[in-house]
Amino acid sequence: MLGSTIINHRQHVGLQKLKALAGITHSSLGPNKKYKFIQDEASGESALVCSCFRILENLELSCAVGQLVYETIQAHQKIYHTGSGCLLFLAGAWSRAALECLQRGIPVTHIISTLSEGMDLCVDVCRKCSVSTEGLGVEPSESFTANSHGSGLQLPKKPSVEALQTSHNLQGLSKVGFKTLNGSGQRQIKLSRHFYEARSEMVSTVTQPDQPKLPDIAQIAKGLSHGCVEAMKLVVEASRVQSKNSQQDLSYSTFDVSKVVTCKLPGLPEEHACVLPGCIVLVSEEQASVAHHFKEQPLRVALINGDLSDTYRHLGFKKLTGVQCVRDQFEFKSSSKDEEWMDKIVALLLNLEVNLILVGGLVSEKVIQRCYRHHILVVEKVKASVLRAFANATGAVPVTYATQLSRHCVGAGVKAAIWRDLSSYDGKPLITVNISTVENSELVTVILTSCIHGKLQAMEDQFWACAYRLHHMLEDKVLLPGAGVTEMLCIHHLQREAEHHVKHHRERNRDSAAANPYRATVLNLMADGLTDYISTVMVNTGRFSKVKARTAVSQQLKANNKSIEAKFSQLSMESELEDGGVSSNTRSCKVPAGKIYDNLSVKQEAWRKALDLVFLVLQTDAEVITGIYPTSDDTQEHLMLL
Amino acid sequence: MSRLAKKSPSLCTDLPLDNADICNKLNFLRQLLKSCFGPTGRLKQVHNNIEGHVVTTSTSSVLLPAISSSQPFINLIKTSILNHVSRFSDCGLFAAILCLSLIEQAQQSGLRGNVAIRVNKHLLGLCTTYLQGEDCGCKVKLDFCSSQNLITLARSVISSKPTCVLTEPETLYISKLAVRAFLLTVPCNSPGIVSLGKVVTMSVEGHGVLNSAVFPGLLLDMPDVFTIDKVKNLPSDALRMVLFSASLAGDLSELGVGIIEVPSGVDTDSQILDQLLELGKQVVKDEVKLFVCQKVIHPVLQQYLRSHGIIVIERVGITLMEPLTQLTGAQPVATLHTTIPAKAYGVVRDLNIRTFGSKKMLHLHPPGESAICTMILCHRNETMLSELKVVCQKTEHVLRLTLREPSALLGGGCTETHLAAYIRHKSMTEITETVPALGCSQTEYLLGVEGFCRSLEAVATVLEHDGGNSLMDLTHAHHWTHPADVMTEHMGDGLGSCGCGLVESNPNQKWTYLNTKGPQFSPAPLSRNATLQPRVLDSFTAKLNAMQVAVETANLALDVRYLIQDMN
Repeated sequence: MLGSTIINHRQHVGLQKLKALAGITHSSLGPNKKYKFIQDEASGESALVCSCFRILENLELSCAVGQLVYETIQAHQKIYHTGSGCLLFLAGAWSRAALECLQRGIPVTHIISTLSEGMDLCVDVCRKCSVSTEGLGVEPSESFTANSHGSGLQLPKKPSVEALQTSHNLQGLSKVGFKTLNGSGQRQIKLSRHFYEARSEMVSTVTQPDQPKLPDIAQIAKGLSHGCVEAMKLVVEASRVQSKNSQQDLSYSTFDVSKVVTCKLPGLPEEHACVLPGCIVLVSEEQASVAHHFKEQPLRVALINGDLSDTYRHLGFKKLTGVQCVRDQFEFKSSSKDEEWMDKIVALLLNLEVNLILVGGLVSEKVIQRCYRHHILVVEKVKASVLRAFANATGAVPVTYATQLSRHCVGAGVKAAIWRDLSSYDGKPLITVNISTVENSELVTVILTSCIHGKLQAMEDQFWACAYRLHHMLEDKVLLPGAGVTEMLCIHHLQREAEHHVKHHRERNRDSAAANPYRATVLNLMADGLTDYISTVMVNTGRFSKVKARTAVSQQLKANNKSIEAKFSQLSMESELEDGGVSSNTRSCKVPAGKIYDNLSVKQEAWRKALDLVFLVLQTDAEVITGIYPTSDDTQEHLMLL
Repeated sequence: MSRLAKKSPSLCTDLPLDNADICNKLNFLRQLLKSCFGPTGRLKQVHNNIEGHVVTTSTSSVLLPAISSSQPFINLIKTSILNHVSRFSDCGLFAAILCLSLIEQAQQSGLRGNVAIRVNKHLLGLCTTYLQGEDCGCKVKLDFCSSQNLITLARSVISSKPTCVLTEPETLYISKLAVRAFLLTVPCNSPGIVSLGKVVTMSVEGHGVLNSAVFPGLLLDMPDVFTIDKVKNLPSDALRMVLFSASLAGDLSELGVGIIEVPSGVDTDSQILDQLLELGKQVVKDEVKLFVCQKVIHPVLQQYLRSHGIIVIERVGITLMEPLTQLTGAQPVATLHTTIPAKAYGVVRDLNIRTFGSKKMLHLHPPGESAICTMILCHRNETMLSELKVVCQKTEHVLRLTLREPSALLGGGCTETHLAAYIRHKSMTEITETVPALGCSQTEYLLGVEGFCRSLEAVATVLEHDGGNSLMDLTHAHHWTHPADVMTEHMGDGLGSCGCGLVESNPNQKWTYLNTKGPQFSPAPLSRNATLQPRVLDSFTAKLNAMQVAVETANLALDVRYLIQDMN
């Protein structure tokens, strides 16, 4: 029987659900993430997850709010690859704020208008405290000694905050911020081989004063690693390889995230992670011998979008059913149809002198074997982005059918070399071959390795998070002070705005009826959400209890407002660097703490999306369940059948 | 052996509206729709409870189709409202709430069904005459010389759906875009019969609302990035294009069902491919630069065309075919078995690439003046984006309706309260003539009038969702709201201005709470104050029709004497 059921929400169940859902992912916030097992009781399967996005992905969220959350997180993850944890946390924190407001009898319209006003305020704070990446991390012309950093960290920051409070002039502000960071952002770091190279490139740009100062990726990247130091090292290395192989003669480092692919190799220790130009493919022993045979000789490559088989037809092609073959006489055929096809293809490939075929789809073992005999290396299941990169770099034209291949479709200048033999005695023989182009190659492969298979997914996620943080930094051309400084500034401004309002309200309480009387309450509750965020990150470092973290935050806020930025950045930085394996005692007095950054666009989007979720759920008062009547026994009071 | 299944007898309900269960359901539907109404309305999550997609909405055109019921009354109302919405887009919730209130009021008044029906009909006549008259006090003439009122109209529609989660500047931005898109669909210099163009709406998820844009011409999705370089090298004058509606996939899918006998050694695939390549040769010979197909194009043909410098776009889908023909003048070719007639070719002036996030699109500029435009809508998530898309299409329709009748009604509940005051007054002055004509007693007539006016006022009242009070001033009979939480000595304090924004509060003004017995008066026309512009405007055509639909549906429901249900 058709019908629809309507659930009326009196108690704002939606907000409570949102709050509860956000609670699950608290431990995956901040640089010190905890792993979680998600177990399916029915099948006994379990997943090892680390990020907020993966937790949600592995949960079966059947309720409407859950789906709304997942949809939002998915959309965010697809574009930004980072910040999902922040999004969900704040959605939870602000839904608690909204619930609190409702309990105090504040009407929904006022809650919404004030929260979005608060968001505008926060966005404005972000805009004002953002620092331009232009020349950020570049070796400054004045010589800085290591000794000056201890004081240099705090002193120059004061004008930045003061300016924030007194002036609303954006230009003046960004200038101050710029100067500040130029002075203190530079610090002594232990340079690896790769960092050193990237750095020396930067120095060359500094000596040419005419060129715009471009950000030093290696330097800034450290501040964007957010605890994933190893992953960020790989990102920087990928950027270095890309810059070196870039078509243009660039004296600075670049990073094109669309030309990065990852390859997960289980079974190797984590130190074996590395970055290679081109792509990495896994082939059999026989195939590897073909690759071995190539040596350093430049190869001719063909790119095929579909499967390499006789029966494959392009997408959208409908095969005719009900065809009967009529034969006049009995014919004896020496070879089957696919044999004929194979002969034709091999002849064509040999004629075009193709040595390497990259296939997007599948290739049967038979075809691979046949090609192998003619010293043609066939690689299947190649990603579309890889095909595109090879097409761009070699001039090859991807085709759907091998029969389409002609001389101008074949690209040249590719090399293939055996990278590493991963064969085991009992398992399948697996040999990795590195295929790259001789020139114009911006494609890089990042090899992620781990002895623990279950960890690889999390490592890959962390790598992409770091890669996209760098990517967004280059896109935005600005950064936010990280480690909670931006949030602290927002809290400060929200609370000040609330206070200001209260005073204002008292002064002229007669005509204030038109204004929102709950503004102060809502803004304060919103600020509490951010306080909660910072203190949770601190709790996750394992060095603070919830209470201690909250007191630390509020003390910081109460302490002279002018120095919040400087003091707080030190406070949470300690925990941040501890993740990198440095003992906090020795470091805090000797090594100057590195500057930590956040992405402007990622943070703003995550905040906005969190608030969107709260607004949608807050305004929802009923669920309409379509199509089915629930069975009579679970009919509850708040269910209504139409 | 056959078994005889016992058939259960049909169930007949006498005077179904007196049935408590039916009344409850109607009352519940009213509560549900009431809570959706207006810019501060509450949202509903529509889903199937088995992990299906969740839709969050407060729009009648999305919400009502999700409500299925075994109750014929609910289906009757649902169908007539949806029918109204499909024709006029706007005022669906208004019609539904008014209709359900009229039924409720008629039940409460205890009037005989036919009396209530006759009174309702008479009063509807009074309303439409008044609204269409020259001296109507709640109507605004739309001036096409200025976009001000059009933007206000668009803004009222867009801001009435909170699922879009728009900030004030975003609402204004989208309203201006909607008006711009609408103006682009009105051809400027074509004499004779003018046919309006079309707004093609495309949505891009994950980007801020302020990235939304309107372009004259059409934008086509371009998944293949390899052709981008070619676009840049094209000369920018009239480019010839061809449009196929037939599938060029190279299959024989159009043959239908049945068994086909094929002699061995005949390769049908390659024969069709040959045919396709013949087509390609002709296209190349005829110097076509853009090749568009509604369905799939065989990769070999694509490669052939591309190698001759032609831009190929496949799978544009059925919805874009009509705008494409309008824009380019091309006639869709439905077969691949004949040569393409010269007149089937169309022309585009220029092509370029536009990027929205990760989406790459090919922008087709019309050869001459064209009334086709594309609206790209961006929003941060799918839920808000899909509601925004619905709302923008609705806005476009509402703006179109103004061409037929260049008027708008005052929004914010002011039209409803004004009409109610007018009807109360008018019916009293004409009571002696009306009562004999309607064949009822004076008391019955007054009861009917009260029910009708209360129903109208009820619609204005439900605009307030946070427990505030609804008021009406005793001069112009406009609608005011008084927040529940603000304590003031005088009622006038803190009222600011009325719902539509045309009347501002002043100390001499008197108010009455809605749905209370207030004094009767003839609402005074507004003194034209040039500085005050209406803040909220409703579609005249849509609201007038919605009122008719509501009264007629309510009358039909009141007229039902028996409900007969087949229980098998």
